[in-house]
This record gives sequence, structure tokens and C-alpha cells, in this order.
Amino acid sequence: MKLKHSLFTRRQFLNGILGGWFGALAASVLYPALKFVFPPTREPDQVILPFSDCEDMKLNTVKNFPWGSKPGLLKKNDDGSYTAFVAVCTHLDCNVTYLSDQRKFFCACHDGWYDESGTHIGGPPPRPLRRLILSIEGEDLIIKREGVE
Amino acid sequence: MSSKGQKMGLRSWLDDRLGVSAVFGFLRDKKIPQHRHSVWYYTGSAILLFFAIQMITGFMLVFYYNPTLEGANTSVARIMTEIPLGWIIRSVHSWSASFMIAFVFIHLLSIWITKAYRKPRELTWISGVFLLLISLAFGFTGYLLPWDDLSLSATKVGTDIPRSIPVVGVWVTRLLRGGDDVTGDTLTRFFGFHVSILPLFLLTILAVHIYLVQKQGMSVPVSDEKKGKKLKELPFWPNFVYREMVVWLILTGILFSVAIFFPPSLEKAADLMAPAPEGLRPEWYFLFLFQMLKIFPSKILFINGDTIAVLLILLGIIAFFFLPLIDSKPAEKKGKIITAAAYLFIVFAVAMSLWSLLS
Repeated sequence: MKLKHSLFTRRQFLNGILGGWFGALAASVLYPALKFVFPPTREPDQVILPFSDCEDMKLNTVKNFPWGSKPGLLKKNDDGSYTAFVAVCTHLDCNVTYLSDQRKFFCACHDGWYDESGTHIGGPPPRPLRRLILSIEGEDLIIKREGVE
Repeated sequence: MSSKGQKMGLRSWLDDRLGVSAVFGFLRDKKIPQHRHSVWYYTGSAILLFFAIQMITGFMLVFYYNPTLEGANTSVARIMTEIPLGWIIRSVHSWSASFMIAFVFIHLLSIWITKAYRKPRELTWISGVFLLLISLAFGFTGYLLPWDDLSLSATKVGTDIPRSIPVVGVWVTRLLRGGDDVTGDTLTRFFGFHVSILPLFLLTILAVHIYLVQKQGMSVPVSDEKKGKKLKELPFWPNFVYREMVVWLILTGILFSVAIFFPPSLEKAADLMAPAPEGLRPEWYFLFLFQMLKIFPSKILFINGDTIAVLLILLGIIAFFFLPLIDSKPAEKKGKIITAAAYLFIVFAVAMSLWSLLS
């Protein structure tokens, strides 16, 4: 039955109400379920290392540190400065290693190569290694994600 | 009343309530056509044999396996060294997985080449492709469970691959990993997939698949169908079943021999912070995909090479699903090209795998 000036019939109206209600009910169940299945990201904003641990590193060597659940690499450059990388290949997420003698980062999974500044130079990696921002404050070496104040 | 009479009584009592005599009657009358391609009919039940072995050995392993970051590797080591005959059970489980997947591929290629998927068996094929994907997922999730260096890196790569798919990829990766990285949560999640979610899906789709095979009967190759003359037939019960049992016995013998002489290794426990080990390889059935990703250039016309590789693989899978619909004229030229594609696929996969093994 449809009233003269109505846009839809009573049946359409009731079906719409019922369907909308079902939709809302499904969404209210699905949303928390999805929240449960996809846990929040856990990348840290910063990691603090005691500077005394890294002070006596030899030139052209690296030191491991945990960057959340990823490995990080702190590299001492030839001029005595430091650079920090997330030691994860930009190709398919394998952990990379630094080969001091060749001055290159290497990923064994698919033969990916980066030069000592982390730029991709061979194999499948599409991007340079991710860099982290370093600062020294008193006794601490502070390693921050880009964009974190 | 004699004992025979009681038995008959029990049987008819059950039949009055369950109606199973219809099923037995169907199997008694089922006929298997005989022609020069009938050997492929045995591959289906070979898969069932290995799947049954997977279930039984899987139930046994789960009694001792511990799906946690701290316990996974040591519990597998314990199965291998302390539990009586544990090493054989794990070895059979590992080898039977390979045998099962090998027979899934053979089964599928034989159907592709003999075109058994043509009308009215399209849905049987599609359910079969689902079963293939679930079998591969079983292999992939099971590979992580011993939690050693190799399995960790293989899982990192495998779960990162969907990330290249535009829009939804990141979410697929996070769903598989239980976060942005492979962690202990991934291990627990993979265990859940491996022992509860995947078995449920596999059994359900398998039931549909087997029902369809029974409903439609065995497919006959195009060439024999065209001749139109009646083929020789073998009764399913008992002639065909006895022959299948001979095949099962031989396969079980081969499986156990291989499992006893070549048990799988177990490396030291995975370290989430350690660099990827050299000589990393996935299971043999993923080798051709692995090699493809390895040789794909990082950039093709400003687009990420991996994205293209992954989209190509996805496209291949989708085409595979709808193969019976694409191959709409099996007896004509188009059908012959699609058959040739099957041989090309075999050559491609074998060549890529060998390349990966030898490099």
C-alpha cells in the first residue's frame, strides 16, 4: 500500500527499517571483532641507550638495539659520527646485516644490497633503509622516529 | 534368534533411523569408466590418504607442541629427542604434507589437461582450487611452528608479500601477523590457523567437493566422449576400492621409508632481532614464486616491481578459479591453447624451482 504523496510503500519502509536495524546490529558486532583481530601498532616513538655503551665502538662497525619488535642498527661512521637504521629490508621485511669489509648492508632473503649510507644499490629493494634520528643528551643516546618531537 | 538374525535386526534398526542403505546402494552401483587416462582417478584418493595421515599425526603432535615464543622450538626439540618415536611422527607429518601437496598438484594438472572441469563440473573445479589454496595455507602456517631461523624468515617474507596489494594489502599482512611485525603473536595466530580454522574450512569444502564428484560421476576425456561408444566400466565396489587400497599401501610404504631415512631438521630457536640466515628457501612448492619475486626488478616504469609481481600472481589465481568458464570450447582451438598452457605452467614452475635450487 502506498499513500498518494509517499515516495515508497509501507512494505519498503518497513523493510528499510528492518534492514537498517540488521545492518547496524551487524556493524556493532563486526566493529569490535575487527578491533580485536587487528591489534594496535607498537612501534616506539623513541629508544634510549646509554651513550657509554656506544662510545667505544670501532669506526665502520654496527651495534644492534631493539627498535620495538624490529631490530635496529647503530652504525659508527668513518668520521666518528653515528647513524641509526631500522635493520629491516625494504623489499620483504627480512632483517638485514652489515658487512663491514664490503661496507654494505645485505639482506640474505632475496639478495638485496644497500651501501653504507643505507641507499639501495642492488637486488630487489625498492627504497633505502629507514633512518632514525639521533641525538645525544647528557649520558643518553636518544633514537627517535622521524616526525616525533 | 541367531546371531545373524540379530545383526540383520541391528542393521535394519539403524537403517530405519538413518537411511544409510541409500548410500550403500549408490556405492554398490557406482561404476568407474576405464580408458587410457583412468590412472588419474587414483590421485584423488591418494590426497585423502595423506590428509588422513596429516590429521592423525597432527593430533599426536599437538599433545606435546607448545605454541609460544618460549616453548615452540624447545617443544619440537623435545618431540624429536625425548618423546618415544616422536621424531618419526614429526617426520611423517612433515613429509606427508609434501606428498599431499604434490598429489594435489598432480590431481589438478590431470584435470586441467584432460579437461574434466567442463560442464557440468565447474563447481567441482572451483571447490578444488579452494582446497589447493587451503592446502598451501596449511603448509605455510605449519612451516613457522618449529620456530627456527629459517621458518621465521620465510614467514616474514610470506606475510609481507600481500602488503604490495593496493589498499587491502596492509590489512591482510596485519591480519596474518597479528600486528605490524612477526612476533610471538604471529606464532600463536598461525597455530590457530593451522589446527582449527584451516581444518574446519578444508573439511567443509572437501565434503562439498566429494559430494559433487559422487553426484556427477567420473568425467571421461573429451576424445573418448566424442567417439560416443560405451566405455568399459569397473564396479567401484569392490574392484576399484581394492585397487585403490593397493595404491595406498604402496604410497604409505614410500612415505614411511622417506620419513625414517630423511627426518626434517630443527635449527636453533628463531631470534626476532637476528639477521636473516643465508640460503633461505621456502618449502619446495613455493620455490617458483620465491624465485619469481627474487628476479623481479625493483622498479618497472615507476611502479614497485613487487606490486606488479604480486598482482600478476593474484591474476593467475583468479584466472585459475574461473578456468572452466574461460575454457568454454574445450574441443576447439581455444581449448587446445588452454591445454598447452598447462604444460607451459609445468615447464615454468619446474624451471624456476630448479633455478632457485641451483643458484
